[in-house]
Amino acid sequence: MSKISTGRFSIEDLENVQITIGKIVGAIEKKVEEEGDMGPTPKPGVSGLRDWDHQVLSRYQPVYTPMCDQCCYCTFGKCDLGGNKEGACGINLGAHQSREFLLRVITGAAAHSGHGRHLLHYLIERYGRDHPLDLGPSNLLAPNVQMVTGIKPKTLGDLEEAIEYVEEQLTQLLATVHMGQEGAAVDFESKAMHGGMLDHVGMEISDLAQVSCLGMPKSDPDAPLAEIGMGCIDATKPVLLVIGHNVAGVANMIDYMHENKLSDKIELGGLCCTAIDMIRYQMDTGGKPYAKVVGTLAKELKMIRSGIPDVIVVDEQCVRADVLDEAKRLSIPVITTNEKIMYGLRNRSKDNADTIIEDLASGKEAGALILDLDLVGEVAPRLALKVAPMRKEKGIKALPNDEELAALAAKCVHCGACELVCPNNLEIMDAMKACVEGDLTKFEILHDHCVACGRCDQDCPKDIPVLDVIEKASQKVISQEKGVVRSGRGQISDPEIRQEGVNLVMGTTPGIIALVGCSNYPEGTKDLYRLAEEMLKRNYIMVTSGCSAMDLGMYKDEEGKTLYERYPAKFLGGNLINVGSCVSNSHISGTAIKVAAIFAQRNITGNYEEIADYVMNRIGAVGVAWGAYSQKAVAIGTGCNRLGIPVVVGPHGSKYRRALIGKPYEEEHWKLYDARNGETLPIPASPEFLLTTVETVEELMPMLAKNCIRPSDNNMGRMIKLTHYIELSQKYLGQMPDDWHRFVRTETDLPLAKREELLKILEKEHGWEIDWKRKKIISGPKMKSDVSAQPTNLKRLCKGEC
Amino acid sequence: MADEFPFEISPMFEGERIRKEGMHVELAGPKSKGFELVRAADMSEVEDGRFTLIGPDLKDMEEGSRHPFAMVYKIAGELVEADLESIVERRNHEFQNYIQGMMHLNQRDDVWIRIGKEAVGKGMNSFEQIAKAVMMLFKNELPFIEKVEATYITDMEEVEKQVDNARDVYKARDERTRGLHDEDVDTFYGCTLCASFAPTNVCVVTPDRISLCGAINWFDGRAAAKVDPEGPQFAIPKGELLDAESGEYSGVNEFAKKLSSGEYDRIKLHSFLEYPHTSCGCFEVVGFYIPEVDAIGWVDRDFAGTAPNGLQFSTMAGQTGGGKQVVGFLGIGVNYFRSPKFIQADGGWNRVVWMPKMLKEKVFQDIPEDLRDKIATEEDVKDIEALRNFLKEKKHPIIERWVEEEAEEEAKEDAPAQAAAPQAGFALPQMMQMPANFMPSAMPMMGSGSGGVRIILKNAKVTVDKIIIQKQD
Repeated sequence: MSKISTGRFSIEDLENVQITIGKIVGAIEKKVEEEGDMGPTPKPGVSGLRDWDHQVLSRYQPVYTPMCDQCCYCTFGKCDLGGNKEGACGINLGAHQSREFLLRVITGAAAHSGHGRHLLHYLIERYGRDHPLDLGPSNLLAPNVQMVTGIKPKTLGDLEEAIEYVEEQLTQLLATVHMGQEGAAVDFESKAMHGGMLDHVGMEISDLAQVSCLGMPKSDPDAPLAEIGMGCIDATKPVLLVIGHNVAGVANMIDYMHENKLSDKIELGGLCCTAIDMIRYQMDTGGKPYAKVVGTLAKELKMIRSGIPDVIVVDEQCVRADVLDEAKRLSIPVITTNEKIMYGLRNRSKDNADTIIEDLASGKEAGALILDLDLVGEVAPRLALKVAPMRKEKGIKALPNDEELAALAAKCVHCGACELVCPNNLEIMDAMKACVEGDLTKFEILHDHCVACGRCDQDCPKDIPVLDVIEKASQKVISQEKGVVRSGRGQISDPEIRQEGVNLVMGTTPGIIALVGCSNYPEGTKDLYRLAEEMLKRNYIMVTSGCSAMDLGMYKDEEGKTLYERYPAKFLGGNLINVGSCVSNSHISGTAIKVAAIFAQRNITGNYEEIADYVMNRIGAVGVAWGAYSQKAVAIGTGCNRLGIPVVVGPHGSKYRRALIGKPYEEEHWKLYDARNGETLPIPASPEFLLTTVETVEELMPMLAKNCIRPSDNNMGRMIKLTHYIELSQKYLGQMPDDWHRFVRTETDLPLAKREELLKILEKEHGWEIDWKRKKIISGPKMKSDVSAQPTNLKRLCKGEC
Repeated sequence: MADEFPFEISPMFEGERIRKEGMHVELAGPKSKGFELVRAADMSEVEDGRFTLIGPDLKDMEEGSRHPFAMVYKIAGELVEADLESIVERRNHEFQNYIQGMMHLNQRDDVWIRIGKEAVGKGMNSFEQIAKAVMMLFKNELPFIEKVEATYITDMEEVEKQVDNARDVYKARDERTRGLHDEDVDTFYGCTLCASFAPTNVCVVTPDRISLCGAINWFDGRAAAKVDPEGPQFAIPKGELLDAESGEYSGVNEFAKKLSSGEYDRIKLHSFLEYPHTSCGCFEVVGFYIPEVDAIGWVDRDFAGTAPNGLQFSTMAGQTGGGKQVVGFLGIGVNYFRSPKFIQADGGWNRVVWMPKMLKEKVFQDIPEDLRDKIATEEDVKDIEALRNFLKEKKHPIIERWVEEEAEEEAKEDAPAQAAAPQAGFALPQMMQMPANFMPSAMPMMGSGSGGVRIILKNAKVTVDKIIIQKQD
């Protein structure tokens, strides 16, 4: 009997008959398919990768930017930790800040993993545990899951074990936030890294499950384009608005509308990642999504206040807490569909659709909690059809009219209260003054910079609904907000990585820039466009997702084309790839893992440390979360950090309270081992940080080019990376960077067009010896160029060490 | 120095397109004539930095006009030789595209160039500026060029006069390339460019074997080794010929041993099954041995379907890469199909039985004529059984290898049930390969009891959530 093992089996004589055995009780369980070696750290616990974290953190030391010097976690406090004081439990400010950071990371990781668990439950119930993972032409199906847990999932059911691991670890991490206990900041940092890593596993599980079951594009570079923008919503039809991150509910609405031939009778719009994922739904066989994306969280309140939606359905995550209150004022019924958001509404999950529709349409109840997603699928579209004419008839008035606008602006006493609470300190008073004089342009500009948080409304002593004023004054530009976004394509397939490999290796593709994260931009959405366009022209691979993917689609060039229409979406230099929603970010880390597996044939199974080491030293990728606001963004970024991928956040990111910054001037930190012989190998200070904040895109662009430099670059690669670094610095900062020479190993590393000029500078300003006849550098560089060198942080990987 | 030019020079302009509306002049191209040519010359014949223009200059050309255009560069230097001409010539394309406001398409006598209005507006008014920039880049990139001079021609008569000469040079060069084989040279080149990503891979580039990634041929290797003999591409003295058929050389073996730190000590350059070349990560095509027909199939990156062995490119590639010698799988560059020594040790094209249609079309001209219709594609066959029939029907030379096997097969076919009858246990999950081994489908469940009921399962999925094993009392 010991021959029985879990797994899937086929019997040769039975045609297409498959037997799946889940668990065996009473005998030693033996798993099939354990081909290949299990690495040293499958399912690492909280301390499992601590050595790696400590090593990384010794180079990239945490820098804390407390928003508050106090701790008020327990009733001993609150405790003032300023001036090197300890709290009542003994904690110091450094440890408390890193604990705060940890809490944000695991909150974000829990949001993604909770989402993953919900989807998995739901999809397993519908499609069965043995529903295969169907993800496109890849051999490596779940790089994050496999690397972290050692599990090689093939079916939905296989993902359960992985999500269980994530849940267990998140519980352990949350426990450490409790008062007292851990005293060393560095160990809170290590725990935060652990949380970030778990986040990528949780995200991957979510996206693999939905891509496999819901017909989403599977590694498809030709994923279709969808309409995006407030301006593309057709308000003459009943408008059904979905908000959130979990596509399960809206998938049912789309099915119901399709089956009942309502697709062209109802306008379906979405905000946030539910929108991104609903335009992926059933798009794996081509076609064009008819659902429309309104935009990011920054459009949420504006969309509701416009009064255009007839029904709002929310699910989870980035959804404003006041949707019900806001909607109620405009007689828009709200349906909540997920345990994470219930708004105090009555649970109608077991009620009859007709009754619910009646209660909501009549206004008897402002909304309903419906956890049965099949029921949601029916109720929401039917309700929209019923409510829309009633709302029209009632003449629901949302925004002020023109006279009211003028009167509201005139009411303003320019006290500055609104500007003080505005997260971006927008110049609202000036715009109000201009508005009084009939000039709306200032509000139009402000509209793009405004994240629609609504804090201005509440602080106005004259009770001016400032946000409504901004929105009303910007109606002209809002009506023109029509763009396109490519629907998320899912993973990068193995063959694509092989194909682009040549260019990544040669350096002709200078790097991968991941433009991800939320919409809390310091200067509006256009910065993303400028950034992406510049880097695409320079042949970087731009990967994007979520909010950034949406906002990139809002700008057009002179010919009226968005970047999605101008740049193709393969995994190639100069391509713009939308992987999908927030949880699709795992495919970006997954791509780095695949590179290690494909090019170096590294065993990724349960082998985190070695893969992170490979990624850190070889793969020129940088993440940018320009408008990071959520806890999820920080979890994603921290997961990238543990894997050796540096991340830049916009200026608001300093509110995450810590950065990880290396010190290029401390030479002892910039040394590795050469795995061929264990000798010490000096490396350039790049990436020079793992997490940092930047104020402007001008500053950001040269920084990205520089931080794509890696110790293992060959000469052509270094030359091209250095060319972009120098050019971007000259173009956007008006000067040669002051450290370019630190990245020069030989004359062939120098930008081709400037070689002679730079050799002269090296000789004159840095005292390097140049053989002018052969145009060769004789002495000067701190490190030599050797493409066969095998840089590693890990002594154990060196020859003769094990 | 870059500042002396009224235009920017940067790789970022490589992808720049100049459309009709933004174009100041069009040079050469499909509606006119032109060419580009690099010639090696003696040191005494070249005056470094000299530029000659025959015909009107850029500033004398009318906006929107079209002109013939030829570019001739003479290069000299101690290490310069005729074999390097084509390598330098190819750079002309790249470098002219680095120039902002200039678009260079195609090569040789197909060149097609456009200069943008904006560039002219910013001060680009003479071909001398362009030629000087390109010559500067040539010398920076390829320091073995000690002297270089350029002649540009915009005069139709002169272009026509010289184009035939250029064509003769191309032709002679192509003949030299085609006629150059492993046995004609004493040096091969090693490339470790991808060692930074795939540390153990070692690529040997010979006249008959292009690099796996398809990017480096023997001439590229030679040029690069001259630029920097200690660089990522370097000479491998080929040493003693150990076996001509499979392409085994003592020099290559020594080198393999050194670079793989002793892991591999033999590499046969033109062998599939025995001591094959290692495979890196970015090979364009992967070959796979099909034991059932004792032959080889090839599948390329662009083919998303499954090969007759039931596997996809990605799955097979996953087993092939990483700088390892993997018997049964081999990664190659597409151009290796064009090599006269193509898997010579294993029978060459006579051993090839399957490839995706697109790939087959790409290399169609290189397939020996009598084999062209005998190699199956995904349109002809879906599995091994169909492949076998296809090969029989088309009389593929591979069937001669089967004679012995056939006899055994026949014996087996008499009793298929016994051969594959499952015991109480299960066949291990080789689902991928299953379709190939499928037997017809009726089988008595629960032992071979006589009489009773016979249950036939088709398209069933049996899920057992839990098995509880208990000792029987």
